[in-house]
Amino acid sequence: MLSQLSVFIENKKGNLVRVTQILKENDVDIRAIAVFDTPEFGILRLIVIDPQKGKEVLNEKGYSVRLGEVIGIELTDELGSLNTVLELLSDNDITINYIYSFVLRKEGLPVMVMNVNDMRSAKETLEKNGISLYK
Amino acid sequence: MIWNEHIECMDREQIEKLQSQRLCEMVERVYYNVPFYRKKMQVLGLEIGDIKGIEDLHKLPFTTKDDLRENYPFGMFAVPMSQVVRVHASSGTTGLPTVVGYTRNDLSNWSEIVARALYGAGVSKEDRIQNSYGYGLFTGGLGLHGGAEKVGATILPLSGGNTRKQIQSLVDFEPTAISCTPSYLLYLAETLKEEELLDKIKLRVAILGAEPWTENMRKEIEKQLNIKAIDIYGLSEIMGPGVSFECINQCGSHIAEDHFIPEIIDPKTLKPLPRGSEGELVFTTITKEALPLFRYRTKDLSSLIYETCECGRTSVRMTKITGRTDDMLIIRGVNVFPSQIESALLEIGETQPHYMIYVDRVNNLDTLEVWVEVDEKFFSDEIKQLEALTRKITKQIVNIIGISVKVKLVEPKTILRSEGKAKRVVDRRHI
Repeated sequence: MLSQLSVFIENKKGNLVRVTQILKENDVDIRAIAVFDTPEFGILRLIVIDPQKGKEVLNEKGYSVRLGEVIGIELTDELGSLNTVLELLSDNDITINYIYSFVLRKEGLPVMVMNVNDMRSAKETLEKNGISLYK
Repeated sequence: MIWNEHIECMDREQIEKLQSQRLCEMVERVYYNVPFYRKKMQVLGLEIGDIKGIEDLHKLPFTTKDDLRENYPFGMFAVPMSQVVRVHASSGTTGLPTVVGYTRNDLSNWSEIVARALYGAGVSKEDRIQNSYGYGLFTGGLGLHGGAEKVGATILPLSGGNTRKQIQSLVDFEPTAISCTPSYLLYLAETLKEEELLDKIKLRVAILGAEPWTENMRKEIEKQLNIKAIDIYGLSEIMGPGVSFECINQCGSHIAEDHFIPEIIDPKTLKPLPRGSEGELVFTTITKEALPLFRYRTKDLSSLIYETCECGRTSVRMTKITGRTDDMLIIRGVNVFPSQIESALLEIGETQPHYMIYVDRVNNLDTLEVWVEVDEKFFSDEIKQLEALTRKITKQIVNIIGISVKVKLVEPKTILRSEGKAKRVVDRRHI
């Protein structure tokens, strides 16, 4: 499984850049970033190279941070590949809490990041069906 | 432990006799020495002989903070300045500071009542007490100091602020007791926790006052620090800390009745209320030499308990202050106390008691916003859970105060921490 940092931020000017600045200053490399927001606050979700260190440096600056697990799926670049994955999950009664994607720089392939209600069974289902997971 | 058993356990008849005698002497002293009161008595057609005992107390005029301000700074002193050995002033949270003075006897009486408070909290010469009340014009620091010296405790006179030093002293000097404001102690507890120093301290008891606090806040402090949190009450106009204090049974604060006569009045009609009713607390000082006051309106809401306490003290107890008539917010016609919002937050238990209340008026309608810091231990990765938390807090507050409120979650440590009296309300209405 993939480790993900979730950071509570207020929906205010400059709040996002403060987080990325702290990570940059501490050499924590960001792979992917997604913000899920409401009118007043947001949850910033990050895939970074060293999540433990990322949490520590953000905690030091007073941020509430959660280190959690998500599933990363390497998609092949062909029609319907995302649909296949989603159907598999749906057929096995797994519901998705949220989903976002990023692209691997070297390979140029898309990676889907998702959080589901039952992480273990999702992982097993996907692996059993030959879907390669990104670690 | 009882410091002065003779006085603190005196039977009602005897204490009232003592109060009556002291009141009569005081009225005479005040009449001849304080022009402000002489004039007031003359206007009321009141003569010295009309006050024969405490049953006549209600005939005397009230005194307010405004009276003290109008006679700023020393106009209400009853002795020449040559007999005044110290001056203090109120923190001035609500305007011009009010200035108070003490003779040598006043200071000695003050130490006496603080000594009673410390014994009540179980603090004796065997203890080390970190005094984190501000030393200076504010009565907290020097007031506690005098009493601690009297019982012979080892005083660590840290004064207020400088959290770094406070923490160092707690760890290195190992005090068994601390005195400060409850909000500041919570802040110290938070810092100790962050730095993983909670198991390095030897605190057993905290003597807390100078701002209203709730039972829930007490529970939070006792839980976080594993200590007993004891209330001490006082106000500079009457003396300073020690006017009343809780014993370890924590069931109301014992009033030093040999020095102050309490009354509970209806703040609107100004009529004394029957025993046990809640209303505004009023004090008459009967031994004070430098600044004797008739029926001083504290603006604090409380009620009086006359039954003998389990600890054996017979002195009347006042219940925990439920609010001040002057920090009461009137929002859309409804009385709201910041302490109610605090207790709602603490009941939810998921939030740190770090909050700020914003009151505003938009299109002639009062709005109430409560900002609450999101602590990591309940921060969820999911928006819907944070929204559920917001709804839960909102519902809880609405249940308690009865009017709608907008709750806003904010990042940790973004609400200003206070090193003295906590500022909880920003009222932008300018009414």
